[in-house]
Amino acid sequence: MNVSLFATCIVDMFQSNVGKSTVELLERLGCTVSFPKGQTCCGQPAYNSGYVKASKDTMKNTIRVFENAEVIVCPSGSCAYMLKEYVHIFKDEPIWQERAQRIADKTYELTQFIVEVLGIENVGAKLSGTATYHPSCHMTRLLKVQQAPMTLLKNVDGLEIIELPLKENCCGFGGTFSVKMGRISEQMVDEKVASVQQTNAHYLIGADGGCLLNIGGRIERQNLEVKTMHIAEVLNSR
Amino acid sequence: MIKNREAFLQTIATQLGRSTPSLTKPERNWKHLPQHEVLKGASADELVEILVEHCANIHTTVKICTQLTLKQTLEEAFATYNNGQIIYSEDARFEQLQIESFIAAQQSFKWDPTQGDMNIEIAERANIGVVISDITLAESATIMLQSSAQRGRTLSFLPENSIAIIPKSSIVPRMTQAAQFLRKQSHVASCVSFITGPSNSADIEMNLVVGVHGPVRMMYIIVEDV
Amino acid sequence: MAMKISKNKFNDRLSMNLDNDFMRSAVSSAQHRFQTRRSTAIESLDWEQWRNHGEEIRQHVLEHLDYYLYELSENVAARGGHVFFAKTAEEATNYITNIAKEKQAKKIVKSKSMVTEEINLNTHLEQLGCEVIETDLGEYILQLDDHDPPSHIVTPALHKNKEQIRDIFTEKIGYTASSQPEELAQHARQILRQDYLTADIGITGCNFAVAETGSVCLVTNEGNADLVAALPKTLISVMGLERIVPTFEEMEVLVSMLTRSAVGQKLTSYITVLTGIQEELDVDGPEEFHLVIVDNGRSSILGGEFQSILQCIRCAACVNVCPVYRHVGGHTYGSIYSGPIGAVLSPLLGGYDDYKELPYASTLCGACTDVCPVKIPLHQLLHKHREVIVEREGRAPISESLLMQAFGMGTSSQSIYRFGSKLASTAMKPFTSDDKISSGPGLLKNWTDIRDLPSPKKERFRDWFDTHSKGGRS
Repeated sequence: MNVSLFATCIVDMFQSNVGKSTVELLERLGCTVSFPKGQTCCGQPAYNSGYVKASKDTMKNTIRVFENAEVIVCPSGSCAYMLKEYVHIFKDEPIWQERAQRIADKTYELTQFIVEVLGIENVGAKLSGTATYHPSCHMTRLLKVQQAPMTLLKNVDGLEIIELPLKENCCGFGGTFSVKMGRISEQMVDEKVASVQQTNAHYLIGADGGCLLNIGGRIERQNLEVKTMHIAEVLNSR
Repeated sequence: MIKNREAFLQTIATQLGRSTPSLTKPERNWKHLPQHEVLKGASADELVEILVEHCANIHTTVKICTQLTLKQTLEEAFATYNNGQIIYSEDARFEQLQIESFIAAQQSFKWDPTQGDMNIEIAERANIGVVISDITLAESATIMLQSSAQRGRTLSFLPENSIAIIPKSSIVPRMTQAAQFLRKQSHVASCVSFITGPSNSADIEMNLVVGVHGPVRMMYIIVEDV
Repeated sequence: MAMKISKNKFNDRLSMNLDNDFMRSAVSSAQHRFQTRRSTAIESLDWEQWRNHGEEIRQHVLEHLDYYLYELSENVAARGGHVFFAKTAEEATNYITNIAKEKQAKKIVKSKSMVTEEINLNTHLEQLGCEVIETDLGEYILQLDDHDPPSHIVTPALHKNKEQIRDIFTEKIGYTASSQPEELAQHARQILRQDYLTADIGITGCNFAVAETGSVCLVTNEGNADLVAALPKTLISVMGLERIVPTFEEMEVLVSMLTRSAVGQKLTSYITVLTGIQEELDVDGPEEFHLVIVDNGRSSILGGEFQSILQCIRCAACVNVCPVYRHVGGHTYGSIYSGPIGAVLSPLLGGYDDYKELPYASTLCGACTDVCPVKIPLHQLLHKHREVIVEREGRAPISESLLMQAFGMGTSSQSIYRFGSKLASTAMKPFTSDDKISSGPGLLKNWTDIRDLPSPKKERFRDWFDTHSKGGRS
């Protein structure tokens, strides 16, 4: 299957290893992966802050870049959801809405793609240790991908998954919320980190770059032992 | 008397894109009616079972008896609450259940509209209030009472202990059936109370306190009348 | 108390509340208990179908609000009641204070009502010389404590502990017993019982008004609303114009959803449906009944992009799941309406001058939307507020606005993005050590005050992919 990778700006700039893992993983699963070079960002940072007009050109760029793809895969639940949200955002621009619909219909979050489209539940990954998984809000509540990451993680050889207490709590990222409402964000991420610590897991796994930057950054700041990993990195471990 | 209606409704109509307020009853074509599925097809015995089970969640004592043992059950109930002044509604069903004379023989007062505020005074110092449920909701263990001159609304609020006699035939699955019943009445009682256990509050540190403004203790007596 | 509960600015309110450890742990444990109870109460139902039905009822009512208000008022009048339509808070309070004057009322008992708080009714009645007594235990405590504002729509005194409550009772109402909730409640019971019996007027809110019969439905656990409505000779019920249902059948559904969502009960102890004045020979119940229907800014929400907020049935389920509310508590919102519902409603009713920060006090995590029994897309409405604040009101800070314009430019143009993202690594170099940024410049400082940030990579992912696809190293 020809996969067009929407890597997301966070991966492109900060987490290139997540992008590499995604590509290697998909290739190992038999996909041909391309990276359309015109891609930038899904537009969420400005859009979620209320700058709808300012973000629409970004979205149009994404539509243009991806509309001829066979299937679009994105290693982020939040950004994948955003691509689907374009349909509503362009409700007053019928032509763009139609183009947005074409994108929405073929966009998948990485684990969703592997389980639902490729029909694979065991990717043959190996990683020894204990891990806990943070189900990000946009991925579980908005994109409604809940089972796929757990299915794949349970089949990682050597990995024991410990359920994260209060897992449905938001980590406090929220895009610009993390800087605009820094003090509230701090309380939220501390609560999340405390939950992670309760599990004594070696790894904190997530499927959204934003949440991982936030939780991982806080963990680093506090010099904690737990290692933050994107699910693509885990599934690509051998 | 209705005041300021015209301008008020015109504002709303304008906001809704109408030139004048709509005066025609809109059709209600609901796409979803999940309430009818709840306890659908449950037998009378099953409804009793559900009701009894839920009483544990609402701090309510529940007894089941037959018409023959009702008097004795009631006597024991009064004793449980240390007897004292009893107040009860004027309700032909007390006679039908053959307990009217028994209650009358206690230290009791039957709600009497000709006595005016004295009813409230007595209810206020009464130890026990006794009523008969008009419709009983199995799902939530709720009694429904319709007020009238003979059945004062405060009768089940003012006394410290409240006893509700529940004819088994009054039990329906849930509030859905009560709502349908009420809609069919040509005249709705001035006060319809759905009562589920004693008065309570969790306003202090989320600790449940039973018995705040209304009854402190509540007992249901289910009578096998069918 | 009006809707606005504080003169302090958002950030000051925030600081004060973040430092309030008792409040924060109380809110956190309350949320946990509310959530658990709610889950238990809905587990045997096909809840999504209930939500769909709840939503369609509320949407239908709003679409036909003019008709249903007409029908309601006709039926209230047919049962001997008076109906007053109040455009503004002032009209409503004037009407009610006039009744109090006419009745020469000395004592007024009230059951919990958000809309009467919103229109500042108590203050007006007190200025008239009336003694106004809140009978809901939580409200009673707050009122005794020199009108401390509510911090939660359903459990208003959530932020107070029992020792504080004991001290208030001791100081204000001669209480001498312990801080046990049972003893405190028993004391309040004895005092309030006399108040019900001697009050001249009872005032209630209205959970649902039933158009077909002109009835007012009141939902409580304490039973206080029943005594307020049954004992005084005059009864006044105050409702927001949207709190209406067509018939008992829809009332029943929404009540079932309200009690489950609010407190995790299948039904609360008392669901009371009042229709008109007392009937011939009735001993209790009001001889005179007034229904006051309040607009106070609601009609301007109708027909617009925020209309769905009027679907709200005030269950506070959104408050009980909100992670922001959990940390900041109710008072930070500066409004009697807190949590997600408050963050959407307060700017609409009270304006952006006082409430423009509230829509930003959310991560848009969507927990509120998920839990709402009538399917209000709360997180989308919060986002809509941001759009209005930025694009229509022009209230965004200039620095942010410039940044976002730059973002728009940078991410809509492929070449600028490629250039900028390549530059990022070099630009961040002075702040980078160990491959991470611990103290960033400008807005980044707000991030690095709390967490580290990995430095932008010199080799971006796209650079790696380029090599990779050319068959280079992998």
